[in-house]
Amino acid sequence: MSKVKIIAATGCPTGIAHTFMAEEALKVAAKNLGVDIKVETHGQVGVENELTKQDIIEADGVILAADKDVNPSRFQGKPTIQVSVAKGIHEAEKLIQQIIDGKATVYKAKKSDVSNNDEDENATSGKNKFLHSIYTHLMNGVSHMLPFVVGGGVLIAISFLFGIHSADPEHSSYNEFAALLKNVGGLGFSLMVPVLAAFIADSIAKRPGMVVGFIGGLIANDGGAGFLGGIAAGFIAGYIIVLLMKLLEGMPKSLNGLKSIFLYPVIGIFLIGVIMTLLVEPMTAINEGMKTFLGNFQDSNPIVLGLIVGAMSAFDMGGPVNKAAYVTGTALLGEGNYFFMAGVSAACITPPLITAFATVFFKKHFNQAERNAGGVNFILGATHITEGAIPFAAKNPIVVIPILMIGSSISAILTYMMKVQVPAPHGGFLVLPVVTGAFQWVFAILVGSLVGAFLYGYYKKRANNK
Amino acid sequence: MGNNLINENYIKLEQDIHSQDELFEAVANLAIEQNIATNKADIIAGLKKRESESTTGFQDGFAIPHTQLNTIAHPSILVITTKNELEWNSMDGKPANFFIVLLIPKDQAGSTHIQALSAVSKMLIHSNNRESLKNSTKASDIYQLLQDFVN
Repeated sequence: MSKVKIIAATGCPTGIAHTFMAEEALKVAAKNLGVDIKVETHGQVGVENELTKQDIIEADGVILAADKDVNPSRFQGKPTIQVSVAKGIHEAEKLIQQIIDGKATVYKAKKSDVSNNDEDENATSGKNKFLHSIYTHLMNGVSHMLPFVVGGGVLIAISFLFGIHSADPEHSSYNEFAALLKNVGGLGFSLMVPVLAAFIADSIAKRPGMVVGFIGGLIANDGGAGFLGGIAAGFIAGYIIVLLMKLLEGMPKSLNGLKSIFLYPVIGIFLIGVIMTLLVEPMTAINEGMKTFLGNFQDSNPIVLGLIVGAMSAFDMGGPVNKAAYVTGTALLGEGNYFFMAGVSAACITPPLITAFATVFFKKHFNQAERNAGGVNFILGATHITEGAIPFAAKNPIVVIPILMIGSSISAILTYMMKVQVPAPHGGFLVLPVVTGAFQWVFAILVGSLVGAFLYGYYKKRANNK
Repeated sequence: MGNNLINENYIKLEQDIHSQDELFEAVANLAIEQNIATNKADIIAGLKKRESESTTGFQDGFAIPHTQLNTIAHPSILVITTKNELEWNSMDGKPANFFIVLLIPKDQAGSTHIQALSAVSKMLIHSNNRESLKNSTKASDIYQLLQDFVN
């Protein structure tokens, strides 16, 4: 059997003494026990001797001796021992012996984790490696997308404060500054899906993947495929590059430069272009189909209509299904039907509010980044910017989207039952003065949001306790 | 590196000190006296705060109290040993009597000095180094030992 390889990360609050004592203690102990060790230190000067992906893959076990966040999610699925830095110093040999004896447990995030890392939630054990890798890729996309959503969303929300039509040069309330805010915010939003796709692909296939993912995401965005289309683009792009890497493996090493600067981008972009174009083609049809479908229910009873509108609005938040509901709403506004839009708006406002309330009521089950984004979502929700919920939904679409759909449906059903009328297509609570039944409308939205928040929070709680 | 991290005047042996508070008081006085720091209360508060986060007590009587403050002029290593052993909540549960105090200016993040200070904590891991320090009876011997690790 080859020599046991152990990797470790040490860190303490000040990063001056104990971080390095633990490093030294582990090295001494490893030497005594005849194992290889590499220790990454999270000290005052930053991270030193950083563990590479290769190190992590090759390691037989991981020792985390730290009183601060050392980004433990990297070690998902590895036999890992997590202790305080003090134990790392004092019981170094014991810890290493535990790894040698195979007594370490496979790393799974716990809610007691001090880590703020996104990837902690939903931890899966080794048997579920594939699912976990998918999750890791998604997370990489979401964490890069998030600032675009927040930055873009907040600027758009601020532009609404100048008036809902303040960015429209034709409108009397036109304001140049508001238009600027709305435009740059809109640019942030238009990059949201491409960035999501790019960094999903980046996680799968590094930089060559990123390039191809970016293009795929752009096509998804332009083709109206929404963030679900972006997720698809990211995974397809990543695996295109993985496949190309396999196919081009036989090429001589001397051509490596050619591969990364020429072959991967040229072939990759071509392939994603073809695939995504084919993929977004039915989007228009889906969109049209959903509109017709919705049209049939336009006059049905409030519960059925609310259920459908709510579910559609929260399903893909900006994708073809959501847009079908929204466009139908605006079309009906033109015909003087203010009832329909009220439900659509309620259903669009609810998802960000669900995430916002959930991060407040279930604080400890969300990491810092999520809590911050949750706070911002109060603003985005209140101004009808549904996209705020995307970063939350994209982390685990299969569970989170249905929760958002339930919440949105409740909001829409109540809105229809109380016969609220909303004459504006956008703006959220900023248009309350012109809403007929404003109080009932806010009430309906709050109920849907709170129900959704508790479902979501409960799910997070369970996922974290797993 | 001709550093001024440590010199013999920073080392006080066999002090008549009976508690953590008294030790921090002595550290602060020494730091002011040696022009390492300008604010006594700051040092005491800083050391206490670090101690409250987790003990700096190590083992075999060694502890490494440390703090990082704006009012510290230059990075320094002070050594104080006490006649009596002090309760320090150490990792091995034993009281401490050999204190290596690291005082660090706030703006020194990332400097080579920090690495030097870390080197001092590292060497304590090796029991032979602890032996040598314990067996030193003169400030000049301790100075020499630490100096060797720092450079």
